[in-house]
Amino acid sequence: MVEPVKEQDGSLMKESWNMLVTYATAGVLVFVLTFHLLLHSPLVGKAFEDTLSFGYATGNLVYYQFVFGLLLFAAVIHGFNGIRVMAIEWLHPTRLAWLLNLVVLVLMAFFLAVGTTTLIVVG
Amino acid sequence: MKRNQRFRSGLVPSLNPLGFNLERWSYVVHRVTGVILVGYLMAHIFETFQLGGGATAWANTMSALHSLGPLEMIGLWIVAGSALYHGGNGIRLTMNEVFGMFMGKPILPVYPYSPTSLGRNQKIAVWTVTALVLVLWVWAGLYLLAGLGVI
Repeated sequence: MVEPVKEQDGSLMKESWNMLVTYATAGVLVFVLTFHLLLHSPLVGKAFEDTLSFGYATGNLVYYQFVFGLLLFAAVIHGFNGIRVMAIEWLHPTRLAWLLNLVVLVLMAFFLAVGTTTLIVVG
Repeated sequence: MKRNQRFRSGLVPSLNPLGFNLERWSYVVHRVTGVILVGYLMAHIFETFQLGGGATAWANTMSALHSLGPLEMIGLWIVAGSALYHGGNGIRLTMNEVFGMFMGKPILPVYPYSPTSLGRNQKIAVWTVTALVLVLWVWAGLYLLAGLGVI
């Protein structure tokens, strides 16, 4: 008798939903990250060093606050979920899956809080 | 307990690159670049947090980064390459997994078990992504070296 496959213990959502979130955030990142990189490319008519100036950096955060907010959330969710998926693939945690999910959620919340604070303070 | 030990035994063999096929290499590079990008993301969030401290705090952050010398641009070049590969390969994977493109038709497992997912179209897709990424990565390197005043 083959045992039925169970959901990972401690998950807040099904893995299929997690993958949907991964694909959705990846799709957002392709466009938003490209936009972010183009702001530091020769297309803006500045030397790379000049695109790192305080005025240019804060100006971008003010003008494109929504875009950078989207970038922050998509990158943090996609990135840390990716690390979680790698940990599951390599370590196959069963009893400690809840701990892995908790650590990833705490890290996500922390970096989202830091990034959101920057966007609010500068914007 | 036995079940867990069987799974754990796969960690070390999974790191041995001997015998990897093209898909497995792209899988490994996708994960390595992903880890690099998450590491940079964490540092970048802290870096941009300094903008909230005003122009002086930002200037101090920039001078601390510039004190790394060429390592700063080399690091950025590695991050740029990671982003290009992870993004390009991610688009290929999305076309594979979400839309079923380049996957080939399923067949019965017949020796020598060559995977239908690694057919001609898949190989073309992998090499196209690799070639595009390399071209863009060289261009990014020249741009960053120019910013460094090397060329």
